[in-house]
Amino acid sequence: MDEYVVEMRHITKRFPGIVANDDVSISVKKGEIFALLGENGAGKSTLMSMLFGMYEPDEGEILIRGEKVHITSPAHATQLNIGMVHQHFKLVENYTITENIVLGQEPRARILGFLPAVDIKGSDKKISELSKRYGLEVDPRKKIEDINVSTRQRVEILKMLYREAEILIFDEPTAVLTPQEIDFLLDIIRGLRDSGKTIILITHKLEEIKNVADRCAVLCRGKLVGVMDVASTSTKAMANMMVGREVSFTTDKKPANFGKEVLNVEGLTVKNQDGLTVVKNVSFSIKKGEIFAIAGVSGNGQTEVADAISGLLPSSSGKILLDGKDITAMSVRERTLTGISYIPEDRQAVGLVLDFSLSDNLALKKYFKEPFCKKGVLQEEAFDENGKKLIEEYDIRSGQGITTTVRSMSGGNQQKAIIAREIELSSELMIFVQPTRGLDIGAIENIHKQILAQRDEGRAILLISLELDEIIGLADTIGVIYNGEMLNMAPAETLTAIQVGEYMMGVKAV
Amino acid sequence: MKKEKKATINPINRGFLSVIGDDRRQSISIPLFAIILSILAGAIVILLFGKNPITAFVSFLQGSGIIPKPEYAAKKSILTDFMSMMNSLTPMIFAALAVAVALKTGLFNIGVSGQMLVAGFIATITVGYSHLPPAIAMPLVLVIGVLCGGAAGAFIGWLKHRFNINEVVTSIMLNYIFQYVISYFINSYYVNPVSRQSNPITAGRLTLVDVPAFGLKMDIPLAFLLTIPIAILVLFLLNRTRLGYELKIVGLNKSAAKYSGINVGRSVVTSMAISGALAGLAGVTLYLGYYNSIMPRTLTAVGFDSIAVCLLGNMHPIGILFSSLLITIISKGSNYMSSIMNIPQEIAQVITGLILLFSACGAYIRYKVAQAREELSDLKLKAEQKIDGEGGEKA
Amino acid sequence: MSSIIIQGMAFALPLFIIAIGGIYSERSGITNLALEGFLGFGAFFGAAVVMVMTGGNVGSLEIPMFFVALIFAAIGGALFAMLHALLCIPFKANQVISGVVINILAVALTAFFTSQINTVLLGKPTNKFMLGVCHTFTVPGISKIPVLGAFFTDVYYYIPIIIIIALFMTYLLYRSRFGLRLRACGDNPHAVDAAGADVSKIRFIAVMISGAMSGVGGICFAYSISSTFSPSIYAGYGFLAIAALIFGNWKIGPTLGACLLFGFARSAGYKLAQILGLSSAFSDIIMILPYVLTLLLLVFFSSSNRAPRALGEIYDKGKR
Repeated sequence: MDEYVVEMRHITKRFPGIVANDDVSISVKKGEIFALLGENGAGKSTLMSMLFGMYEPDEGEILIRGEKVHITSPAHATQLNIGMVHQHFKLVENYTITENIVLGQEPRARILGFLPAVDIKGSDKKISELSKRYGLEVDPRKKIEDINVSTRQRVEILKMLYREAEILIFDEPTAVLTPQEIDFLLDIIRGLRDSGKTIILITHKLEEIKNVADRCAVLCRGKLVGVMDVASTSTKAMANMMVGREVSFTTDKKPANFGKEVLNVEGLTVKNQDGLTVVKNVSFSIKKGEIFAIAGVSGNGQTEVADAISGLLPSSSGKILLDGKDITAMSVRERTLTGISYIPEDRQAVGLVLDFSLSDNLALKKYFKEPFCKKGVLQEEAFDENGKKLIEEYDIRSGQGITTTVRSMSGGNQQKAIIAREIELSSELMIFVQPTRGLDIGAIENIHKQILAQRDEGRAILLISLELDEIIGLADTIGVIYNGEMLNMAPAETLTAIQVGEYMMGVKAV
Repeated sequence: MKKEKKATINPINRGFLSVIGDDRRQSISIPLFAIILSILAGAIVILLFGKNPITAFVSFLQGSGIIPKPEYAAKKSILTDFMSMMNSLTPMIFAALAVAVALKTGLFNIGVSGQMLVAGFIATITVGYSHLPPAIAMPLVLVIGVLCGGAAGAFIGWLKHRFNINEVVTSIMLNYIFQYVISYFINSYYVNPVSRQSNPITAGRLTLVDVPAFGLKMDIPLAFLLTIPIAILVLFLLNRTRLGYELKIVGLNKSAAKYSGINVGRSVVTSMAISGALAGLAGVTLYLGYYNSIMPRTLTAVGFDSIAVCLLGNMHPIGILFSSLLITIISKGSNYMSSIMNIPQEIAQVITGLILLFSACGAYIRYKVAQAREELSDLKLKAEQKIDGEGGEKA
Repeated sequence: MSSIIIQGMAFALPLFIIAIGGIYSERSGITNLALEGFLGFGAFFGAAVVMVMTGGNVGSLEIPMFFVALIFAAIGGALFAMLHALLCIPFKANQVISGVVINILAVALTAFFTSQINTVLLGKPTNKFMLGVCHTFTVPGISKIPVLGAFFTDVYYYIPIIIIIALFMTYLLYRSRFGLRLRACGDNPHAVDAAGADVSKIRFIAVMISGAMSGVGGICFAYSISSTFSPSIYAGYGFLAIAALIFGNWKIGPTLGACLLFGFARSAGYKLAQILGLSSAFSDIIMILPYVLTLLLLVFFSSSNRAPRALGEIYDKGKR
């Protein structure tokens, strides 16, 4: 009989309005890599959050090493030698790597022989040793705000190892990494397994599972669909199980039909709030009917390119021409009116006013024009009419129609609302930044169709995404940004995912 | 067993939920709940003094002219008490509206007192010491108040916009600077040697004092006539105009405001200017209405109390009319209450403080109610699922 | 010159200890506009205990009673601060609003209880506690050094006490386990939670510490400025401390600089008025010096200022 380290039996967890886990049972063997596969919102993270003590299950029981436990807090989970790398890293930005790792279990030293204090020097050494032992080299004295995403992830892994975790949970660890970084991470994960750790890997990427996992459980809409041996199951079978229906791996894309040039960016340089140059002398142009995609690892300046074109960030040098007009000195409003639609990366913090009604949000870019506003006074009927029209045309679902507070809507419908609003502006140029982040497969397909439809209508489209698949699937032309510089631009069909990945890492090989 | 216990919700909670009501009703029911709680707490304090709390609360109302006292001095009646209460109510309403406009834009105007002082002082030395006829002086006083308060507010907004200085810090610093600079001018040029305050004004007083009417002598606060129209105007501005829409977006989400093309800096300055202008109105109605002189080196408490009054009124202009009335009744009635009950007058301040304290917990009550509601709808959902499940099995 | 230093220190250090309190609260993520109320209530509590112990007449017990007042001011401040902690942490109230309300409540409560206690002890409801003066000492020898010697001349008793407390608080914030966790709470409470520490508890303690420190500062002001406790304690020193800590970028060292600047600008202003033989009205103009200076300096430095990242955010465990 196999030795199970983790057993979760008949787990049910409800959140207001949704059953996140419905009678889910899984068992994980010691020393294996166990993958949890499912779409966004399938309940993978919730299930693991319960194992890590962040929530308690409404029903069901958890056994660790054969013993029944009630895991009440992350601290308790840590005592049980469970560690977790969250999708959103939980790091203190203005602390050093060491301080972050030891936080909560700080080694002691004494100042002046009596005052207990945190032993930072000793910890630095310890972390340095630990990182070497597992091949996760970091400089313990660096601050989090100064290191990149993949190093931050290493810090999170080191945090678990420092706490002597035996059961390691990884929540979507590859979402923010380049293909090369992903390979490196998967090697690390294999190495950890070989040194006797048990690993639970949450992901929605099939190749990774195929690549590294021993067994795999598939969740769909909160329910367990099945558990299988990875070696003996095909990728396609897993995908069908995950989505609950047949999946086509191809996007329906018509051949491109380019028109005249719409956007021309020349030598764009942008500084961020701290005065650092984050976009360096970037030039490119987009034609009517073209999807120009910028690939790159998060934080390499791609968001700033979009912000500079839309006017949210000032450009410190360079020129931006829209339809031949120089818009470099224009305000955000003037640019919108000249012909820019912008679907921003952070839909909740930037794209919407969450406490406003849906109809107010749908008018956010034209409330100041007639018929919405006459002589400074708002016309409610115009807002209502506009709202009703867009809800119907774009199939935006909400509790109370146009009066719904946007905060209460699902992420997918919030994004639909933004896209509806921006398409309705009928702008020459549409900028999409991370348009499908955090959405489920159905919503993603829908948005991809919309983007392609806009392209076929002759709009110029700038697509910025961290998802390489999305870029390869949609783009006509691909540019790769690394450290603020545009490294390579080429027609999409001439590039493979591996090549793009290499550029994303800053390897300037042709 | 545990499941069954969870499946029913406490009937008291359920009752409470239905009383508190939906979002719309909560904006009234939660402040009311806070007021009731604090009146209960105040009653307990009064009981500790061995006095009857009901008589005490009645005497608050009597002192502020809401219900008649048993007896009145010559030329006094409930009407004179009521007018006197309205006289101190007027600046409170304007001050609370000032706080509300700023808060709606996500700004915290803690400098209302300072702005009131500037407006009051400049109106005093320009119009107050002149000999203009009332028909010219009074409107002029109001205009000067609006302009001076607005300028002071706009300056705070400009510093925030231009130099990114937190408006709370600027307001606090400016409160001190106004206070001392004005104190210098009063002591140097306008001081009355007997009262140690500025000389009483000679023109433009917005409250008519000791007017003989109906055989009584009373004060008539003319500026009170402006409070309700201005509250409605503020409401209209916030809810129905393009400017108000923009200010609210800036208050709720600065990034979204910028993204939609709103000039955030200009909105911040505009909002503070409007807030300051309202504070200016409060200033002139206080210093050239309720009072007729200015005490050097002192900021009025009205500017600070108004913050709390505004919150009690749920930042809503009409709500503010009522919350101002309540707080003014308590402070105005405290004199009379103290004299007939032999309870220290400071108890009034304590009750006011408690009302504000409980109203600050409003967010928590709202949160709890929302939570309980979700639980309730969850239970319903669960029940429905169960029925579905059973039905399915049978089929 | 020496009187500028003596008076400047006497003002700057109580302000500094209040600002340290503010730093504790804000670095843990709780906005604290309630320092004014904390310092008033703390000073009241310390003074009230002295009054009750001496039956309303301090008499010859000035020195020991000063220390009693100091200790109880810290306790009173901490207890009163629990109200802010309670409102902001479990009750999830808006922290700015809570601060304002607590200030109003502090003024009301202290006025009420002062007159009540005086009625019982002295038979008349005055609003003042007569505390007597805080004594001073001069260090022999060192005090003779020109200029620097002034730092050791006529030193109020509370000055070395505040310095010791401040040193300890600096150690606690920057070197201890508790401090490491506290500062992390103000930056990313989720990280602290994941590390197994209790965010709410740490914040609660931080707010109570800010109350205790404000109480200490408040009673020192009561002793040094007026040798009484009266409503005049609410002269805005709490707000000045907030300005100092914002100016000091939420760090103890630079905040000390800001407080010294306020203190010396103030005492130098007074001295100037005295030397120039200006009327008392003119001293009002001089009083604005620290505030104008603050504004000017903020104009130049505020762009580099960074508040703690999680400041003012209500921490909800369940929120992802």
